Amino acid sequence: MDYLSSNKILIVDLETGQISEDDLDDELVGRKIGGVGITSSLYQTHKDKEPIVLGTGLLTGTMFPASALGVVSAKSPRTGNLAHAPFTLKAGMELKYTGFDYVVILGRSPKPVFLWLHDGVADIQDASDLWGADVWATTDSIRRAMGDDLIQTLAIGPAGESGSDLAQVCINYWASGDCWGFGKLFGEKNLKAVALRGMGLLEISEPEDFVDQCFDVFDKIKGGAFAGRRGIEDILSEMGEKDASEWLAPFIHRHSACYNTPYSTNTFVYLNEDSKTLTEPVEPEPGFLINDPCALLAFKRAGFSAQNACRVLKACSKYGIDPAAVAELCEKSGQKDTEKIEQSFSDLKGPVAIPDGGKFSSWSPAQPLFSDFGVSDRSAYLAWWTRRQAVAYLFGIHPIFVNMSPELSEELMIEMFNKGTGLELSQESLDTVIDDVCS
Amino acid sequence: MRIDVDALKCIGCMACEMACGYHRDDAFALLSSCIVVYRAREKKDYFGVVIKEEESLTIARPEGLEIKRIGVAEEPDPAGQKKEADASAKPMLLREPCDLCNGMKYGPMCVKICPVDAISLVEEGE
Repeated sequence: MDYLSSNKILIVDLETGQISEDDLDDELVGRKIGGVGITSSLYQTHKDKEPIVLGTGLLTGTMFPASALGVVSAKSPRTGNLAHAPFTLKAGMELKYTGFDYVVILGRSPKPVFLWLHDGVADIQDASDLWGADVWATTDSIRRAMGDDLIQTLAIGPAGESGSDLAQVCINYWASGDCWGFGKLFGEKNLKAVALRGMGLLEISEPEDFVDQCFDVFDKIKGGAFAGRRGIEDILSEMGEKDASEWLAPFIHRHSACYNTPYSTNTFVYLNEDSKTLTEPVEPEPGFLINDPCALLAFKRAGFSAQNACRVLKACSKYGIDPAAVAELCEKSGQKDTEKIEQSFSDLKGPVAIPDGGKFSSWSPAQPLFSDFGVSDRSAYLAWWTRRQAVAYLFGIHPIFVNMSPELSEELMIEMFNKGTGLELSQESLDTVIDDVCS
Repeated sequence: MRIDVDALKCIGCMACEMACGYHRDDAFALLSSCIVVYRAREKKDYFGVVIKEEESLTIARPEGLEIKRIGVAEEPDPAGQKKEADASAKPMLLREPCDLCNGMKYGPMCVKICPVDAISLVEEGE
């Protein structure tokens, strides 16, 4: 694969320590496109060794709007089936530039390790000192040890180490779209984290046409339906919580976006500092980045104050536990004491609702946002959402943003794929792959 | 003319950085960009933008703009904190200065791509 790709599939056997590489064949891309099309295929190939497969789409890390997606595919401890969790912020982009398009992690390491992927090199590093650390300390330690504060991590905390079905693989310090218990799989493999840093370069088959088209789409999106909206609070408002902005407002510091994503899906709240502070705060951990709208919504609907909801979200990400599941269990138990909730993490168990939609994460709200996409009947939302997510997970597009931008049509993504790679993907082939990954 | 950044509008998406990288390399890469989102103080949510220009570094911080002349010795930071030296793996001073995307039909690509209009082209001295 010459374009929009590093042309490498990495295979890491944690049990033996062996690392090997395969080429990413045009033939495989022609059949499976990329993203979850290929992670699913690699999962099936290595199924007997309980694989965790990381991957990106061919548009990930490009100038195409919202090309922020990386994906983890594995058998969910919560469903027993193959499922896919998105990772965004800057981590999807960073994986793309490490020099590996896909990473297949097999077996169980005899001791705690982390996988360090950088500049086309893969190292299995000892993580004995990190075992027992929370997610924040883990990311801090890895960045300090490698001397690079821009390393992105997919890391677990105590929840993953102790085998909780609710354990989440977190991104750096924050939540992720892992609602499948993949943190438990990391723990079972003695895999504390995957650390990502890349300075690669992606060639483009028709660069000028590709970039022209990116600018055209950006121009259309800028005047789109979400113009003037921002942050996670406006997403909650769109989901029916009309007072979400007012509720969260006293704590909002700034809004930020995932890589190349035109809408700021993330809201940072200051809990230990004046939220209006503009200068760099002295307090090293003044707050929390909220990037999971469904979890925040669940805490709000369970009657939490904004401050307490944010405190629990922060505690969840340190412990490495799915905040949406914690919110659901809190609502059932009626528990609202933040300290007691935090103390209960080690014993927290289901039953927790299995996400709708089969294989894609319920982290992305199952409804159109800011635009109706022509889907006015709520009963049709799930089918619409499932297909929309499949497309996002195949090409590498942000799974929440894809629900708010009808400009990012399937036809456009096919066109960009073809301009970027020089291959010829058709709508018929896309339909076949979507059916395949959704079945 | 020069590039101006309103750091408070910036959402840290890095679209500008990738567009600049494309201008330099005719491919997608970040190492050659002369505009960089500094984002190393992630837990503090303290981020902004640095631009390498011919004779200066423009640092757009949330609290305001600072222009540092290249070659002038820096005063030590009394708080002992790192500032923008941690912006990226390749030091800003080793990068090519901004040429306003000279030769590109789009004009300055960072201005064109910014989704929140945080970046603009202004007259020198503005």
